[in-house]
Amino acid sequence: MQVALKIWRYDSSTGQRALKDYEFQAPDEATLLDCLDIVKDKHDGSLSYRKSCRMMICGSCGMRMDGGAVLACKTRMYDIAQAGQIPVISAMGNLPIVKDLVVDMAAFWEKMRSVEPWLQPGYDAATEQENIVSVARMAVIHKESLCINCGCCTSECNSLEADPDFTGPAALAKAMRFVGDPRDGNTVERLEGLSGEHGIWDCTRCYFCSERCPKGVDPRDAIAKLGAEAMKHGIDRDMGAKHAKWFVTSARTTGWLRETELVPKTQGIVMAIKETKFALSLAKHGKVPPPFPPHVAKNQKEARQLYKLVKEQGVSGAAGIVQGEKALGRIEFVKETEHAAKHEGAAK
Amino acid sequence: MKKVAYYKGCLASLSAKELDTATQALAPKVGLELIELESVTCCGAGDIHEAEPDYYLHINARILAYAAAEGVDTLMTVCNVCTLNLRQANWQLQIDAELRARVNENLVAVGVPPYERNVEVRHFLWEIAEGEGYELLQKAAHKGLKGLKVAPFYGCQILRPSKILGFEDPDRPWSLERIITACGGEPVDYPAKIKCCGFPIIQAREDVALAELIQPIEQAYEAGADCMVTPCPLCHLSLDAWQSKLKKQTGRDFKMPILHLAQLVGVAAGLADSELKFKRHVVSVKPVIEKLSV
Repeated sequence: MQVALKIWRYDSSTGQRALKDYEFQAPDEATLLDCLDIVKDKHDGSLSYRKSCRMMICGSCGMRMDGGAVLACKTRMYDIAQAGQIPVISAMGNLPIVKDLVVDMAAFWEKMRSVEPWLQPGYDAATEQENIVSVARMAVIHKESLCINCGCCTSECNSLEADPDFTGPAALAKAMRFVGDPRDGNTVERLEGLSGEHGIWDCTRCYFCSERCPKGVDPRDAIAKLGAEAMKHGIDRDMGAKHAKWFVTSARTTGWLRETELVPKTQGIVMAIKETKFALSLAKHGKVPPPFPPHVAKNQKEARQLYKLVKEQGVSGAAGIVQGEKALGRIEFVKETEHAAKHEGAAK
Repeated sequence: MKKVAYYKGCLASLSAKELDTATQALAPKVGLELIELESVTCCGAGDIHEAEPDYYLHINARILAYAAAEGVDTLMTVCNVCTLNLRQANWQLQIDAELRARVNENLVAVGVPPYERNVEVRHFLWEIAEGEGYELLQKAAHKGLKGLKVAPFYGCQILRPSKILGFEDPDRPWSLERIITACGGEPVDYPAKIKCCGFPIIQAREDVALAELIQPIEQAYEAGADCMVTPCPLCHLSLDAWQSKLKKQTGRDFKMPILHLAQLVGVAAGLADSELKFKRHVVSVKPVIEKLSV
């Protein structure tokens, strides 16, 4: 097939940047990475990009195609070439470019290290018995365990763009992988650390991370799980956590969000008073609905009773979020095999 | 007329009442009969999903159950966040029979009809961007927008995650542009139209949120837009009400009028002032109205 690409070339030593056109023949099954290899071998040996495994597991070849991060080795070019499209290839976003398609991952790794991505079981010596963990409990962190550290999720992260110190989707998903691990003994300390500035509650929920991840890690979902786990452990000092809690209170008391009270409940009364001038400017246009009398939804009692029921049933934290996920197919399987194993044991 | 259950959500019930009145007035003109749901709560806005995920699932199941009880196939939303939250819960319930059985048992225990027959959650944007809704929209927009330059702002949660939303390509959406064109306006293109407005963290992390918010407004302004249009009342609130904070922080006063989707189409369809309620906006819409009345 005939393939055409535009590639943003960049040299950080000279600061020169240029969009270059390339056209060449490639086998029908070629991926974007294969195409870059052809360009480098036959047209321009100075083109720089990272690669290693060529099979979606090393995470080296993250880059942007038409502004969206992809793994080059996962992206087949046939349909794009057949449609006559000429995609623009550039380096990933939110990280400094070293040369052409190569970014400096130092900040990415630093954040990854900051969440201490290793198991901290809380004991030094090996126990006499194995610690057996059910597949059901590991299913809570099934998606998070699939991460290959390619950085695609961070490339378009809107919070990271606005605040370079944000821990970011990759490191937070990795953090959830250990917070949710039943063998880890540091859950509360981890959650405390992640609940501060630049942590869990800085996520703006743009969902670019989950959209871009080539491995189905779903980092936004992982961040929601961290939030749910923090709440479960009573770690709710952060304004983001207070904001989330007020929605629960609103839903179970009046049904609809109690908008006007949301500000003092999130920011505290002192900060809310500082915002009085701003609030008044909104109030002029009916944007600050009076909290009294409360606007109560019809049959509100049902929502209140549901809350009580749900709390009694105790499906809380990340376990509440993974309900209905595909990973639960595995849980059902485990339930069956565990049941069968017990049955067998009893028979003996 | 297509009968749909109508879920207003919190903002259209309270601080963005103009979205509700414009939607209600426009609906019959685009072939929609709205059955307003009353026994419903907030969808949780992603916050309850994070704070009490099991409760999130139950209150959304309750909304879906009341919609199904109306005998309709569609639950129509007018907010991105409601759309994602309801569609996500709907997906969870439909994929896992055991979960649905437990949630239904709980619903019945408190006197709510169980969620048995499936409904589909669809945003108003999707109803008028294709099919019969779009055909009728073209006729309804008889007054036209006279070449008004409109910057479409999609926001996040009507595009991503696409596995749950899936109406259009999240990187190359077309629906708002198609509607603007059908109404006689000229869509303005700019990169930040699919990015975040910052609203979810505007209270907890205002600086980060404002750094996000400025991008679409600045880009739309520089591309020469007369106004911006959004299908989400939360995006509307941050684009409209927080613009004054951008002015305070950066010294730049964009004075960019922000219209709800139903208002933009409503103007083209000749809705009355009492239905459009532009007075409820913080940034004046007057320049747009003046441009159209020439």
